[in-house]
Amino acid sequence: MPEIRVTPLGAGQDVGRSCILVSIAGKNVMLDCGMHMGFSDDRRFPDFSYITQSGRLTDFLDCVIISHFHLDHCGALPYFSEMVGYDGPIYMTHPTQAICPILLEDYRKIAVDKKGEANFFTSQMIKDCMKKVVAVHLHQTVQVDDELEIKAYYAGHVLGAAMFQIKVGSESVVYTGDYNMTPDRHLGAAWIDKCRPNLLITESTYATTIRDSKRCRERDFLKKVHETVERGGKVLIPVFALGRAQELCILLETFWERMNLKVPIYFSTGLTEKANHYYKLFITWTNQKIRKTFVQRNMFEFKHIKAFDRAFADNPGPMVVFATPGMLHAGQSLQIFRKWAGNEKNMVIMPGYCVQGTVGHKILSGQRKLEMEGRQVLEVKMQVEYMSFSAHADAKGIMQLVGQAEPESVLLVHGEAKKMEFLKQKIEQEFRVDCYMPANGETVVLPTSPSIPGGISLGLLKREMAQGLLPEAKRPRLLHGTLIMKDSNFRLVSSEQALKELGLAEHQLRFTCRVHLHDTRKEQETAMRVYSHLKSILKDHCVQHLPDGSVTVESILIQAAAPSEDPATKVLLVSWTYQDEELGSYLTSLLKKGLPQAPS
Amino acid sequence: MQGPGFIMDHECARLLPAVCAVLADPRQPVADDTCLEKLLDWFKTVTEAESSLLLLQENPCLVELLSHVPNLQDVSSGVLSFSLRLAGIFAAQEDCFQYLQQVELLPGLFGAAGPLGQAVWAIPTVRSGWIQGLRSLAQHPSALCFLADHGAVDTIFSLQGDASLFVASAAGQLLVHILALSMEGRAEGHTCPQGGDWPMCAQKIVGHIEESLCSTDTPRVTQALNVLTTTFGRCQSLWTEVLWEQLSPLVARLLERDPVPAPHPLMDLLLCVARSPVLSSLDRGPWETAAQALSCLGPTQAGALALGVLKLQLCPQALRTQAFGVLLQPLACVLKATAQAPGLPGLLDGTSEDPAVVDALLSSKSSCAGLLCRTLAHLEELQPLPQRPSPWPQAPLLRAAVTILCLCDGSAAPSSSVGGRLCGTLAGCVRVQRAALDFLGTLSQGTGPQEQVTQVFAILLECLERPDSSPTVLKKAFQATLRWLLSSAGTPSCSGLGPRAALFLPELFPVLQKRLCNPCWEVRDSALEFLTHLSRHWGGQADFRHLLLQSEVPELTRQLLQDPESYVRASAVTAMGELSSRGLHGTLTNPEHPEAQQSLLPEFLHILSADSEGFPRRAVMQVFTEWLRGGHADVARDTERFVATVLQVVSQDLDWEVRAQGLELALVFLGQMLGQPGPHCPYTVALPKAVPASPLAEALGALCRVRLFEFAFRALFDCDRPVAQKSCDLLLFLRDKTTPYSSLWEAGGSPDSASVEAALQRWQAGEQGQPLGDLEPEAMLAALRSIDLEGLRGTLAQGSDHVEKSPQSLLRDMLATVGVLQENQADCY
Repeated sequence: MPEIRVTPLGAGQDVGRSCILVSIAGKNVMLDCGMHMGFSDDRRFPDFSYITQSGRLTDFLDCVIISHFHLDHCGALPYFSEMVGYDGPIYMTHPTQAICPILLEDYRKIAVDKKGEANFFTSQMIKDCMKKVVAVHLHQTVQVDDELEIKAYYAGHVLGAAMFQIKVGSESVVYTGDYNMTPDRHLGAAWIDKCRPNLLITESTYATTIRDSKRCRERDFLKKVHETVERGGKVLIPVFALGRAQELCILLETFWERMNLKVPIYFSTGLTEKANHYYKLFITWTNQKIRKTFVQRNMFEFKHIKAFDRAFADNPGPMVVFATPGMLHAGQSLQIFRKWAGNEKNMVIMPGYCVQGTVGHKILSGQRKLEMEGRQVLEVKMQVEYMSFSAHADAKGIMQLVGQAEPESVLLVHGEAKKMEFLKQKIEQEFRVDCYMPANGETVVLPTSPSIPGGISLGLLKREMAQGLLPEAKRPRLLHGTLIMKDSNFRLVSSEQALKELGLAEHQLRFTCRVHLHDTRKEQETAMRVYSHLKSILKDHCVQHLPDGSVTVESILIQAAAPSEDPATKVLLVSWTYQDEELGSYLTSLLKKGLPQAPS
Repeated sequence: MQGPGFIMDHECARLLPAVCAVLADPRQPVADDTCLEKLLDWFKTVTEAESSLLLLQENPCLVELLSHVPNLQDVSSGVLSFSLRLAGIFAAQEDCFQYLQQVELLPGLFGAAGPLGQAVWAIPTVRSGWIQGLRSLAQHPSALCFLADHGAVDTIFSLQGDASLFVASAAGQLLVHILALSMEGRAEGHTCPQGGDWPMCAQKIVGHIEESLCSTDTPRVTQALNVLTTTFGRCQSLWTEVLWEQLSPLVARLLERDPVPAPHPLMDLLLCVARSPVLSSLDRGPWETAAQALSCLGPTQAGALALGVLKLQLCPQALRTQAFGVLLQPLACVLKATAQAPGLPGLLDGTSEDPAVVDALLSSKSSCAGLLCRTLAHLEELQPLPQRPSPWPQAPLLRAAVTILCLCDGSAAPSSSVGGRLCGTLAGCVRVQRAALDFLGTLSQGTGPQEQVTQVFAILLECLERPDSSPTVLKKAFQATLRWLLSSAGTPSCSGLGPRAALFLPELFPVLQKRLCNPCWEVRDSALEFLTHLSRHWGGQADFRHLLLQSEVPELTRQLLQDPESYVRASAVTAMGELSSRGLHGTLTNPEHPEAQQSLLPEFLHILSADSEGFPRRAVMQVFTEWLRGGHADVARDTERFVATVLQVVSQDLDWEVRAQGLELALVFLGQMLGQPGPHCPYTVALPKAVPASPLAEALGALCRVRLFEFAFRALFDCDRPVAQKSCDLLLFLRDKTTPYSSLWEAGGSPDSASVEAALQRWQAGEQGQPLGDLEPEAMLAALRSIDLEGLRGTLAQGSDHVEKSPQSLLRDMLATVGVLQENQADCY
């Protein structure tokens, strides 16, 4: 039975470490290869041993597809390709290929050099991994091999994020990765055509949330920043270098411009310059407004936002600083936080998720006395705000995408079980399709009914045409032939051709029938009467009287016999081939009516 | 979690009841999905160090939690799973197990009255928690009785076929563990009871395995085979002999079925038995079954088994021959189908072709590519092993690899209809091309007839030349070419390149030039890496030098210093650095005077100060360090100026690795001034080898002039720990070198030293501040002595990321999160 099998190794009823295995029409594809930010041991990567059980990785997997550059979607990739041993192709979009190494390098730095971990991937491994990448364009159909093809669609979320359609023959799966159905200040909304896949695998981070208007959130953010700098306070916004940081920069830049504000805004140096470089390079991936205004003014050439120098943190007066990393667990953001935490006039705005154990997590959960190194206690007097700017589709957006793609069934990943349950019911009710939400390690099996392409021989077609019936697209017609499978292809051919191609001998099958006639004459005379009768009726057919006394009409053979028990009755034995079935039946019914009275 | 900080201290004990209360309250969601995992990690550490019974008695909230959770109506699956696992951790100690039995807690968790019979059982996390809990618990005979009393083994049997891979796999592992536990101590000495005398529990498990092996349901057979593989892999006791004796006929019977069920797990089992020192020596050892498997599964399926057999140290020769035949069959077919000249030895001449192999090669592109890739990879793995078959058919294998590459690039002229179809199937097949190139590269370790080597170089050149070669194929083609070039030249230090390389190189350089201009950055990068390796090996060879300098390769490489892709710029820097070290970085105008070539130093300095990406700057620093170490002419001309300039540029760099490289360069300079630093070992107490006073003064003067002190002092307070650590090591070395002469440098209290100390304080506070200006060595040394470098090194060793890992922090975080901002939870990025 043909089927599609889906097994999440990560992102099944959880968020983080996305890694989903899909088997479709005998092809195996890995969707994303992410890491879990919350762990620093083996648990940070998906457990690939479940795949290696099936033999060599490169033999088992046909390709790996990465949806976007966030580490929870690509962080395990160099480990997988350079240390576990996958040597096959990896597909991602051009911006993802360009930006991935930056984030992977950053991750490596934290893992190896800050925590002193051994047995971690090196810079060379990251490069070697990136050299295995085949970069794809949006809407470009890429042949992975003769049977498997993939196609990328715009997903919003972050620069270069894509949804992927995976297709083998007539079966297809769409994987959304992370996506956003509402355009923001620098990216457009996700879009997919009505591709009607057998299965849509969608993220469900905000499965139950209908997010408040983006404008409200932005207004709230700007108000908080403005109020703080107005009263002379400093605002710290810890960010990851790529993604939301650019959105917030554009937001503040525009606001500063409009309000003619002079308070300095800084961006902690390092990754961001590179980030902005990539945003400029891949301008076609941003939204229409940015693309349109690009000629007059590049939105990423900020007028008010300047590079940050460590010395600036001590400057008196208000300022806004974007600093990395986003969870306040190291580097500049933490350094600035320590300087400013003690002043109640200041504010820190956390725009995203923080894992347990980080300073970011602690202050978000309301802790105000933090134990820093050497038992030194840091009292947090500054205001702490959480404002989510992560670009995921909310429940409404997810429903919208399901409506857009019109899948036969839906599978939810990248979300929490309870919330997924709610969305699953909603999807099943509204779209009347099956919806699944497997946990990690759980396999969902979807039976499919694939259409199998078949050819038809020219001879057979010509024969049909000779009957004067031209093929019509809207009127299906019955066509007789023999279906043969040769070289893994199906073809409908005439039976003669089938015999010839397959080198088979023909077996004749004859239908026979007995017709009883009341006739007292000898068998030969009865046969002669049959011959004369048929000869007079069947003028277009070849009717013959053979020397042995039998009569033939085309392939039909008629023989007369006299049963010993009743000399007044003669039995006509009529036999014919499959090809003359029609004529044979006609003749039988004719003979059953009896022979015309012969002149006595 | 390890170390003294992770025990159950007073603070943890104080926080624990509140945390337990939160966990037992279904209205309070646990904020972070990693918290429960970390909590379990901590309890594991605690129970390894102290008595679980005592822990439970001193913290009654834990028992309350464990008895309360299974009875809750709306309990979260995560907390329930956590409780099952936690109970298992505690019950691993027998006295604690007895205590938990007394309070009747375990049946409510693991028995029929527990989650097993409830709706929550449908959630994989709960089933997984149940299995893991039992896995921890099953450590003592009492646990076995408990399992028997509650019918747990039957549940585990059914969980082997669970919809969750994780649960199914854990169930199999648990069965092995229980079997081993119940057999523990039964087979001491030389006699082992026969299967009928085994404990009930073990008999039950073995009976289940037997039943599964006879089943017509392939997943059940797979489960049984996996359990056996794990058992024989883990346990080496005598009872495993009895088990194998009993079950091997059933395993062999699987091979009589058509098709053979679960071929992969079956091969794994046979290899595992073959590797086991206990089982491989038995009368009914695995050899006969392995031979049977090889012939039943054939070359299309048994490749992995054949390779495994050939890797074994001890194995009957007949089986090895059979295994090698299985491995070679697909390539033998290819050779036969494409044989050009009669008389050339093929592979497996005289044996008949396996029709299944021909069928796999011809039936479809994916089956053909799959079979060839597997075969080539297996042979590649086998080739370098000492136990590989001898004689090794190097010549036919070489011909097979070359033929496959010809088939892939469409240049093969097949002589048979099979060959013709192979040609059509493999044309443009990148997957097979990559595998064949890898294999061809490995074959460079052996010798081959002159004519064949020429063919190898020809096909490699063809691969490198083809305009439609994919970047991954080109990378492998470069790697294989390098291996063949180096092996064909013999020893690297010999006088010439060797005749083949000398013939090949003039053809190679134009191709290399073309590849350096390829529109794909991956190709340009692979070409540069190839050039670097080649120059490293042959930079001193006159013929190579001549050919290289006559080509445009050095010039093109230099142009790639401006490449738009940072990875390529970095590789170009490395390549140019290598060429420059050997006087090969410019077009040859006067071969007698390589120094006439234009210096690269200004260009590299420009990259170091202006390139927006870290990779090229890191590459420049690596080259500079090598140049300083090797006394490169550009550096030796004015070393002090060179070091001063580089350190000044590096100190401003945003990339921590560039700054760390700067310290590496400083250390090399220091070594040259003061003598080499020895390998640092914190446990050796040795007096530093002092430098005589007067050269020391001179050296210190130089260090001041290049502003090495200021660079290292600033780096000491770098926000990136590796930089600070490296600086700390450097300053410790410097201080040790100068300590014996400290009396000569007493300058404490001078205005200069005061200003240095003030600057140090500013830097420590995270300020940038002004540069120190020209100061005397005395002030620097005084400042050096004033810093507690040992203390600093200790602090730095603890790590600079503030992910607080202590249990106190975890418990506090879990409590603090209650009721706060539920919206934050799922908001990953």
